[in-house]
Amino acid sequence: MAAASTLAMYAFPRRLGAETAKLKVGVLLPRSGLQALIGQSCQRGADVAPELLRQRLGVDIELMNADTESNVDTARSRAERLIEQGAQVLVGAFDSGHTAAIAQVAEQRGVPHIVNIAAAPQITEQGYKFVFRNFPPAPEIGRNGLVLLGDIFREAKVAPKTAVFMHVNDTFGQAMAKGVAALLPKLSLPFKVVDTIPYDPAAKDLTVEVSRAKATNAELLLLVCRLNDAIVLRREMVKQRWSPMGVVSPGSPGLYEEQFSKGLGKYGDNCISNTVWFNPKNQITHDFAAAFKKRFPKDEFAFHGINASYTFDAVLIAADAFKRARSTDPKALAEAIRQTNIPATDRVSFGGPIKFNAKGQVDGNRSVVIQNLRGKPTVVLPAELAEGKLVFPMPKVS
Amino acid sequence: MTSDRPAGAGDRRRLALITVVTVALVTLPLVGSSYLVSVATLALYLAYVGQAWNVMMGFAGQLSLGHSLYVGLGAYVAAGIFVHFGVGPWAGLWLAVAICSAVGAFIGLLAFRLRISGVQLSLLTVAFAELARIGFDHLDWFGGPGGLFLRVGDRNHIDLLGFRGPPAMYYYAMLALAAGALGVCALLLRRRPGYYWRAIREDEVAAQALGIDTFRWKMLAVVLSSAMTAIAGVFFAFYNNSLFPEQIFGFGRSIEIILGPVIGGLGTLFGPIVGAVALVLLGDGTTEILAKAGVDLPGARQVVHGLVLLLVTIYLPNGLWPPLARALGFQPRRL
Repeated sequence: MAAASTLAMYAFPRRLGAETAKLKVGVLLPRSGLQALIGQSCQRGADVAPELLRQRLGVDIELMNADTESNVDTARSRAERLIEQGAQVLVGAFDSGHTAAIAQVAEQRGVPHIVNIAAAPQITEQGYKFVFRNFPPAPEIGRNGLVLLGDIFREAKVAPKTAVFMHVNDTFGQAMAKGVAALLPKLSLPFKVVDTIPYDPAAKDLTVEVSRAKATNAELLLLVCRLNDAIVLRREMVKQRWSPMGVVSPGSPGLYEEQFSKGLGKYGDNCISNTVWFNPKNQITHDFAAAFKKRFPKDEFAFHGINASYTFDAVLIAADAFKRARSTDPKALAEAIRQTNIPATDRVSFGGPIKFNAKGQVDGNRSVVIQNLRGKPTVVLPAELAEGKLVFPMPKVS
Repeated sequence: MTSDRPAGAGDRRRLALITVVTVALVTLPLVGSSYLVSVATLALYLAYVGQAWNVMMGFAGQLSLGHSLYVGLGAYVAAGIFVHFGVGPWAGLWLAVAICSAVGAFIGLLAFRLRISGVQLSLLTVAFAELARIGFDHLDWFGGPGGLFLRVGDRNHIDLLGFRGPPAMYYYAMLALAAGALGVCALLLRRRPGYYWRAIREDEVAAQALGIDTFRWKMLAVVLSSAMTAIAGVFFAFYNNSLFPEQIFGFGRSIEIILGPVIGGLGTLFGPIVGAVALVLLGDGTTEILAKAGVDLPGARQVVHGLVLLLVTIYLPNGLWPPLARALGFQPRRL
C-alpha cells in the first residue's frame, strides 16, 4: 500500500497546496579548506535539486547553504545557525567528523539530518532519532568493492593468480587496508596477495614503491589511493613499463576523478574503481544529468558522479518526506522520513529502494565497476547497468 | 605582557567595564540564541587553549607548534575510559591531566636536556603530535581512524556528573575554565614563576648567570601548559562526542590554538582572550554579513583570518591587546 502510494506520487506529481510552505533545507558542506573540491562537487548536486524536484514532485524547496570550512567546530556552529534561521531539514556533510557534530546538533534540536555522504558506521549506531543516512558505511563499501573483483574476473573469463596491494598510509588508507586484509581471505578470490606496500599520499616520487611492486611480478595491482598519488603512481608505472592485468581500486577515490583522466590522458584509461555510483539507467539520472549540464555547462557530470548524486538524493529524501508529511514541522518531517520508500528506479544513486531501517540507515546501497574508457569513468559492471564493455586485462603500456 | 591592572583615576570606569563584560558573559545563555551560545563557547575554548599555550611560549618563550597533542591525548584518554569502562569525565580529567603532564614532561626533558630550543623545539612538538595522530590511527581500542563516538546526552537535562546537558552548561563550563586560566596565569605572573619565565624568555644565559634553574622553570611551563591543554581536550571530547585522530591531532588544530595569542598579543594576559574573540567574531561576522548581502563566498572566513594575521603582524606586532588596553585605560606592560 505504502509502495503503491509512493509510486503514484512519483508517477503523478501534484503541487502541494498553498497551506504548506516552502521546505527550507540547510545544506552543510566543506566548500572551503582541505575538502573544498569534494564539498563543491557535492554542492552541485544540491544546487540542481530544487528545480528538478519541483518538476518531479511538485514541491518547493529553498536551499540554505553553509560552508563547514573542513572544520568540525564550524560545522557545529553553522548547523546551529541554520536551524536558528529556520532550516527544517539539514543535509550534509561529506566528512564523518563534521557529520557527527551536525548529527548531534540535529538530534538535540529535533531537526532531521539527512546524511549525504559519510562512511563512519557509528553515525547511525548512536540511537539517534533524527539522523538518517542513505550512504553505505565504510565496511560495506570495502566489502562490495572486493566482491566485485570476482565479477570482473568472471566477466573477463580470466583471473590473476597474484596481486600486489598498494595503499596510502593515511587514516583512510590504513582503515581500508585493515578492511581488505580482514575480508580478502573470506571471499575466495582466485589471487594471492604477494606483497603489501604502503606509501605516503603526499609523495612526489613513487619510483621505489613501484619498482618493488613490479619486482613481485604480480598480475594485479590492488590499489587504495587518493588523487595526486594515483597520478604519480600511474605515471611511474608507465615509466617503468609495468603492465599488470589490471589496476583496480576496491572503493577508494582517485582513479575515476577528472584530474586523473585529464592529467594522464590515454594512460588513465582502463583503470578500474569498484565504488558507489549513480544509476545510469534510471530516468531520474538522465533528468538530473541534463539539469546538471544546463546549470554547470563546463562540468562533466560523470566526474561528479558520487558526490552530486548522493547529495541530490539526500535532498530528494527531504522533498519526498515533505510531500507526504504536508508539513514543515521537523518532527512530522522526521516521521515521514522514517516511512520513506523511494523505489530503486526513482533515485539517482545506485541501490535498492530507499528505506530506512530502525537505526536510520538505508541498506542495499550497491557498488558498481567503473572503468575509465576514452577519458571518462564508465560503468562496465553489473551488466544491467553497463554503459561500456569491460577491458580486462588492460592493454600493455606502449 | 601586562599587569592588566586598573590603577589611578580611571579605576571606576575600568571597574564598570569589567562589571559590564562579566554580566554580559554570565547572562549570555539566558538572552542569546543557541547559535550565539555555540559561537561564544568556541571563542572561550580558543581563549582557554590560547592561554594554556601562552604559558609555554608567551611567558617562558618555548615555542610549541604541536599543542594539538595534548588536546587529543586529553580527549582520547577521558573519552576512552568513559566509553569502555563508564568512568565519568571528572575522574577521566585527572587521568588525562596526569598523562598529558607526563608526556609534556618527557618532551621537555628530551628537549631541554639536549638543549633543543626555538625552531628545533617546535619541530619536536610537531613530530610528537604527528606521532600521536599516526599512533591513534592504529589503536582500535580508541576507534582507530573510524573515530571514537560518545553517546549524546539529553539536551534538556543537566547531568553534571556525566557532563551532559544543554549547550549553556558547556558554555558556563568553558567560561569557568577561561576565567580560571586567566586567574592562575595572573597569579603566576605576579609570583616567582612569572619573573623567572620572563628572565628565561628574554635571555636564558643571563637568567642562568643570575642563578635561575632554567631547566626547572622551563619544565614547569611545559607541564603546566600541557596539563591545562589536557583539560580543554576533555571538554572537547564531551562537547563534540566524536573524536578522529586526523582532526584532533592535526597540525591545523595546533595552529588554531596559537592564532588567538599571536593576534591578541603574545605573552599578555588578555591577549589570548582578545585574539580568540576577535577571530571568532570576525570570522562569523564576515559569514553573516556576506549571507545578508546574498553573497555565497566559501572560505571567506579563512581569508579574513589570513588578512587579520597579516595586518596585525605588519601594524600591530605586539598584538591587538596592548593598544586596546591603552584605549580602555588599562596600562599594559610587557613582563
